[in-house]
Amino acid sequence: MNAGVWAMDLRALGAAGLMSLRQIRRYPSNFIGQIFWPIMLPAVWVLMGQAYSGGGDPAAMDAFASRSGTTGITLFIFVGYAMYMWLSSLLWGPGTALRREQMTGSLEAVFLTPVSRLVPLFGPTLTNVVWTVFQLVVMGIAVWLMFGVVLPLGGVLLTFLIVLAGLPAMYAMGALFGAAVLKFGEIGPAVQFVRGALSLLCGITFPIVMLPVWAQMTSTVMPPTYVVSAIREALLNGATPIDVAPAAAFLLALSVAFGGLAIVLFRVLEASARRTGMLGRY
Amino acid sequence: MDEYRAAIAIARKDIQIVSRYRLWVASMIFTPLYQGVLPALLFGAAFAVGGRVVGLEKTIGTADLAGFVFLGGVVSGLVATAFWAMGMSFRNEMENGTLEPTWLTPTSKETLVIGRALGGMFWFLFGQIALFAIGIAFFGLRLRWEMVYAVPALVLASIALIGVAHLLAGIVLTIRDANLFIDCTNFLFATASGVAFPILLLPGVLQPIAYALPTTYAMDILRQHALGTRPLMDPVVEYLALILTTVVMFPLGRWAFDRAEQRMRVRGTLGQY
Repeated sequence: MNAGVWAMDLRALGAAGLMSLRQIRRYPSNFIGQIFWPIMLPAVWVLMGQAYSGGGDPAAMDAFASRSGTTGITLFIFVGYAMYMWLSSLLWGPGTALRREQMTGSLEAVFLTPVSRLVPLFGPTLTNVVWTVFQLVVMGIAVWLMFGVVLPLGGVLLTFLIVLAGLPAMYAMGALFGAAVLKFGEIGPAVQFVRGALSLLCGITFPIVMLPVWAQMTSTVMPPTYVVSAIREALLNGATPIDVAPAAAFLLALSVAFGGLAIVLFRVLEASARRTGMLGRY
Repeated sequence: MDEYRAAIAIARKDIQIVSRYRLWVASMIFTPLYQGVLPALLFGAAFAVGGRVVGLEKTIGTADLAGFVFLGGVVSGLVATAFWAMGMSFRNEMENGTLEPTWLTPTSKETLVIGRALGGMFWFLFGQIALFAIGIAFFGLRLRWEMVYAVPALVLASIALIGVAHLLAGIVLTIRDANLFIDCTNFLFATASGVAFPILLLPGVLQPIAYALPTTYAMDILRQHALGTRPLMDPVVEYLALILTTVVMFPLGRWAFDRAEQRMRVRGTLGQY
């Protein structure tokens, strides 16, 4: 592939990102939800934690610490929900972008352009990062103003590095989902099911050791598990970049695996779609 | 009699529509299970000492985590029925373009809401029975027969929620982004009713709001009878407060709905999407 083709694909990737950014801007009421949910959902779980711990009963707190490695329920929950929100915007956004193109009748037109198929597959993910960072900032402010938890500066910086390291794996997972949804068709139930399953497997609201062994094994091949765990280590236990390096290495490996799978699945589906003519179907 | 037949016809239509979408029906059971019940049970169990959730016992007077979570789901489901199946259904008709023909029938507007309430209650009961069966079979849920004493409280709360549904229907017919509004208010209403944690844990400024909701009392009465939890206040006072809030909510909702309808007729916005 020559440099000209690469440059063309990069320009198309930028245009795809710009398009989804414009769509975000066109629906300003979405911002209400992007502020409401990242604050209210974890806040409710923090209060549930207070109910279950008897308002900080020492025996109950010790039990929780022995399973989660921390007594900081508030941050434990907020970090988990940061991942939940990321998963939500990932699955509802880039995860369903191809299917939405298909529903609006523009997928065939996109596929007729001479750009690489990877552009429509990965293009919408670029602006999704905007939501992720926005939600992280909202949650950081909420945890401080509502619960008086001041985040350590070093931990915050390391959190952004972890998010950066997790981006390829998370979006590769999103692309795999996006390709699968194209075949499956029904967006809503698919998002609910996958988000629910990942929330349960990756320790969003509870320590993973609470899960049965088979589920714990499954969680080790899910990128959110490593992101959540590494951020908790950084913010709650003062971990250093070296401490979270193994998690970053796992994330890199998972990004290659999920990215490869997404590309293969997408090619198989595309070939099948060309034969059956399902690209334009609603 | 005609109104009764119309209400039944609306309920049958709603039940039939939902039953055509098998994934939707399945998600009524599995979505609350994996998004609410399972994470709450596992989170609560993380605080257990020797298999006993001592913290919860200290907070509400019982260590029955499964009972606490599943019964929270009952009132949460009732609230969701009022918000989505009743309140939001008019908006759905509006989006489908069937609101004007429905409005032009000689059926009273209350019958339209009550018909939807009946359809919603059918799916609510279906979901609750399935969830209780799963809870009993897999999560150690044990229900005391005394919980039937809470049925009058749940009936009263349902009547109050029909009033709330009228109010919501009035609002969603006049605003554009009804989906986000219903989603957020449903969440806040259920949370303030104490479905996830006792309302005494709410910040002080929010507690008066919780005490103004009929579902707060219904939730507390249900947990008292079913689990033996400590009551928020004297049960007789709770029943009186439940009756009072119901008496206020129902006509308030009707009044708001009538006002919204009148405004839409004047402006001719009934058929606008």
